[in-house]
Amino acid sequence: MIQLKNIERTYKSGAGQTWVLRRVNLEIQPGEFITVMGPSGAGKSSLLNVLAFLDDQWTGEYWFREQAAYTMKRKERAELAKKNIGMVFQSYHLLDDLTVMENIDLPLSYKDIPRSERQSLVADTLDRFRIVAKKDLYPSQLSGGQQQLVGVARGVIHKPALLLADEPTGNLHSEQAKEIMELFRELNQQGTTIVQVTHSEANAAYGTRTIQMRDGWVVGDTANPNLSPANLTATEPRDAAVNR
Amino acid sequence: MSGLVQDFRYALRQMRKSPGFTFVTVITLALGIGATTAVFSVVDQVLLHPLPYPDSDRIVKVAETFQGVSGTDASPANYLDWAAQNSVFAEMAASRGWPANLSEGDRPERVKGTMVTPSFFSLFGINPILGRGLAESDAHAGNDHVVVLGYGLWQRYFGGDRGTVGRNVRLNGEQYSVVGVMPPNYSPDDYGELWVPSPWGVPSHPLAPDKDPRQFRDRSYLDVWARLKPAVTPQQAGAELDTIGRRLEKQYPNEDDKIGVSFLPLHEYVVGDIRPVLLVLLAAVVVVLLIGCANVANLLLARAAVRGREISIRTTLGASRQRLLRQLLTESVVLALLGGGFGLLLAVVAVPSLLALSPPEIRQFKEIGINREVLAFSFLASIVCGIVFGLMPALQASRSNPSEFLKEGERGSTANRGRTRSVLVVAEVGLSLVLLVGAGLLVKSFARLMDVNPGFDADRLLTFNVGLPSSTNAAQQFAFYRDVMQRLQALPGVRSVGAVSRLPLAGGNSGRSFKVPGIDKDYSADIRVSTTDYFRTMGIPLMKGRNFSESDLGSSLNVAIVNDALAREVFPGQDPIGRQLTNFGPDNLTLQIVGVIGNVRHVGLDTAPHSEIYQLLGQAQWPSVFVAMRSATSDATSLTSMAQSAVWSVNKDVPLANIRTMQELIANSVQRRRFSMLLLAIFAGVAMVLAAIGLYGVMSYSVAQRTKEIGIRMALGARRPDVVALVVKQGMMLVLMGILAGTVLSLAMTRLIAGMLFGISATDPLTFAGVAVLLGAVAFFANYLPARRGASVDPMVALRYE
Ligand SMILES: Nc1ncnc2c1ncn2[C@@H]1O[C@H](COP(=O)(O)OP(=O)(O)OP(=O)(O)O)[C@@H](O)[C@H]1O
Ligand SMILES: [Mg+2]
Repeated sequence: MIQLKNIERTYKSGAGQTWVLRRVNLEIQPGEFITVMGPSGAGKSSLLNVLAFLDDQWTGEYWFREQAAYTMKRKERAELAKKNIGMVFQSYHLLDDLTVMENIDLPLSYKDIPRSERQSLVADTLDRFRIVAKKDLYPSQLSGGQQQLVGVARGVIHKPALLLADEPTGNLHSEQAKEIMELFRELNQQGTTIVQVTHSEANAAYGTRTIQMRDGWVVGDTANPNLSPANLTATEPRDAAVNR
Repeated sequence: MSGLVQDFRYALRQMRKSPGFTFVTVITLALGIGATTAVFSVVDQVLLHPLPYPDSDRIVKVAETFQGVSGTDASPANYLDWAAQNSVFAEMAASRGWPANLSEGDRPERVKGTMVTPSFFSLFGINPILGRGLAESDAHAGNDHVVVLGYGLWQRYFGGDRGTVGRNVRLNGEQYSVVGVMPPNYSPDDYGELWVPSPWGVPSHPLAPDKDPRQFRDRSYLDVWARLKPAVTPQQAGAELDTIGRRLEKQYPNEDDKIGVSFLPLHEYVVGDIRPVLLVLLAAVVVVLLIGCANVANLLLARAAVRGREISIRTTLGASRQRLLRQLLTESVVLALLGGGFGLLLAVVAVPSLLALSPPEIRQFKEIGINREVLAFSFLASIVCGIVFGLMPALQASRSNPSEFLKEGERGSTANRGRTRSVLVVAEVGLSLVLLVGAGLLVKSFARLMDVNPGFDADRLLTFNVGLPSSTNAAQQFAFYRDVMQRLQALPGVRSVGAVSRLPLAGGNSGRSFKVPGIDKDYSADIRVSTTDYFRTMGIPLMKGRNFSESDLGSSLNVAIVNDALAREVFPGQDPIGRQLTNFGPDNLTLQIVGVIGNVRHVGLDTAPHSEIYQLLGQAQWPSVFVAMRSATSDATSLTSMAQSAVWSVNKDVPLANIRTMQELIANSVQRRRFSMLLLAIFAGVAMVLAAIGLYGVMSYSVAQRTKEIGIRMALGARRPDVVALVVKQGMMLVLMGILAGTVLSLAMTRLIAGMLFGISATDPLTFAGVAVLLGAVAFFANYLPARRGASVDPMVALRYE
């Protein structure tokens, strides 16, 4: 579904440059449930931003469903993302002034979908996530778990092929986290490809594949045992040092 | 006290710390306070100051009334009876314009003289700077050839020579002895620059200067002035004058039929017409200042959000709310004073330009400028501004609970501040709409006025005033005018020349009463005396009958040409040609109508034409005439010097006076309207720009506040146009609310300027709509810029910080 070849991302820092993604090569198959792990600052969020097309300052090749996304214009990428990608955030990022229902409706409002269809999609989603009773409440009136439930609902309402979630349970306690992970598994089983970032081994267990990152490098991948951390530090010790 | 000094010092440091903020604030306030101060300096002198005479509030202008409606003048006989019979006035005086040819050697000049009763000088109570004023003894035949000079004339014509007093000067060809010089700017009747007595005490009639006027009861030409006795109230005076008026009406049932007497405080007489204009302008400029204050308040509110941390820390360190308020208010008052200081400088520069634009009613007040009261006013205005725009932000800032602030970040309080700021912007938009509507209505009125057909063709017309001394007889005068007309007509570049007693839009008017055989009714009409070529020269169309002709001069038949308005009023549905007008004027002449000409707007473009009767110059006489010359080239003024030489070749003592093109006369006649229109338009423009800046500020702030929200929306698929639309929609909601509120307010407010409008209703829907569209368009841009900035938010960055 997705092929990343030699993705690099740098930020200017003072005199020089800081690498946050280094020669990332990654292939994501449809239906996978990938967990990205790694220490803070390893580049996990950066990778997700690249996947989500929120970032476009990287170099390398990004193939999305056999389309060369890296040659596309900003607008085309945005269009691609809008159609195919859903996002879930660690701090939910619900809009305070909108009700649950309106928040969920938000991604649809940016597509050319007839009003009636939108209404039925929203109704379906509320139903599916069992939050019908909360539809007229504002985010501040919900618990953290409930808010993230809404966040996930919003992320998938337009039936994206790929769901990206950056520490979706980071602000939740384990009981609530488990609920969200069950939901992810369910979505995955219904065919949604998922990439999640997490620090929790328990969450990682829900996935089908885990990727380890460190200092911008992909240093481990359960689908690619050849890529071992030891191997990597041996061959490129200096870069790793520079990045710190 | 030392606390205040510390606050003050801290305020200065704050200003230095954020120079951009200080700059914008001070400029905004300087504009507002400067404009307000400039307008106030005019209002101060014109409306608030007493006129420059001792106890001027006791001086009144007395005039006859006709059918209860106040006129402006009085007849000599009535004046003398009022003066003899009243017990409420300490003194009464009468005057009339007495234009004269002043000639010393070979420099004739037509000057504005006033013939007065000697009491004129004591009544106004101003002493001459040289010599003496006029005395009772001057007002007798043989003693009456004395003249008091005005300061301006004395300087201009006599070079300020102190030896002028005691000298003889030639006025209208006769010797007058100069007895005194009055101080600068002395002109109680707003005309005279020299004063002469009358041998009969009361000023003589302009058309019969050699006759004793004291028995004239049906010729009203006197301006009458009086000074109330100290203990007498205006009500008492009014009641007594009423009684006198009724008694005279009974006593002289013919001459004083329906004639009464009334008076007006002198100040009211002088400024009555201009007062509403000035008040409207003052109100408008105060609104501009308020909008400026709202802008500054908005800036301060935004800054209060930034300073929330500083204030919470101060509070945790023990600052009381009162103490915080004081410090914040000190800051805003210091800002306002700085703005006021620059505003004052601006006013100093602006007042002369303001006066240059202003109509004579204002310009006659020579003392307008920045005086002590004006200084006090702008100081006070600054302080009030500082409190007005500083109080709300200070209250909000000092109210914020520090623990809440530190815990919750800005979230709770900023929502509230955002609402206050929105309310301010709605108010700004609404108020500027009110000003724009007012300006729009005045501009449209002005355009309508300039479209009015004056009844003649004003292009390429040069006009001026010439007159022979009134001591000359009718035959001499006629010969003079005829010769002048012939010489002028012969000049190269002159297409045609005419003369008339009263020129349209040149000020002044005269009326006569008359009857029509078989109709028991008193008519009255404006009277003109003109040459045969006058109508052709002016382009006034002959609608019926014939023009005057040379042969009329030799005929014993008194001919008249009337205007269309008279024909319709007196002879509706009939042919007026050949009809007679009887009992015409005080000499009870009979005139025969030979022609009908088109109506002319004589008093002003905005005044409907009156009935007019034209007599032929030669059959009737007039002390001085207006000459109108139609030039063959577009620059009529180029004829001036040739015309002057032509007149001098007939009589070397006769100067040209009031040389103006007809276009200038038209421009002068609409000067008050132009003044109010221009000023209101400027104020409205400034108001609109300030409101747009305010809107821009609020929307920029709001976009900054919504960065995260915008980021989320973009991460969820919103594109740039979506974001722009989102922000613009929010801003335009405010604008719409402002426009609605402003429209409602305008509907109430424009009634105040209804009297200043012409040919347009105070609720003209087109103006309202046009102005709303204009304001909406400007506001849209003020919205669009921050919106575009909002749309350039990088969602990654927006989502990262939190
Ligand atoms: N806008 C930026 N400018 C400069 N450096 C940045 C920027 N954004 C991210 N970085 C750097 O990129 C590196 C990777 O950041 P990233 O947010 O991807 O880490 P992460 O793996 O998601 O960490 P965490 O688990 O703490 O969320 C960090 O070293 C960070 O300092
Ligand atoms: Mg991260």
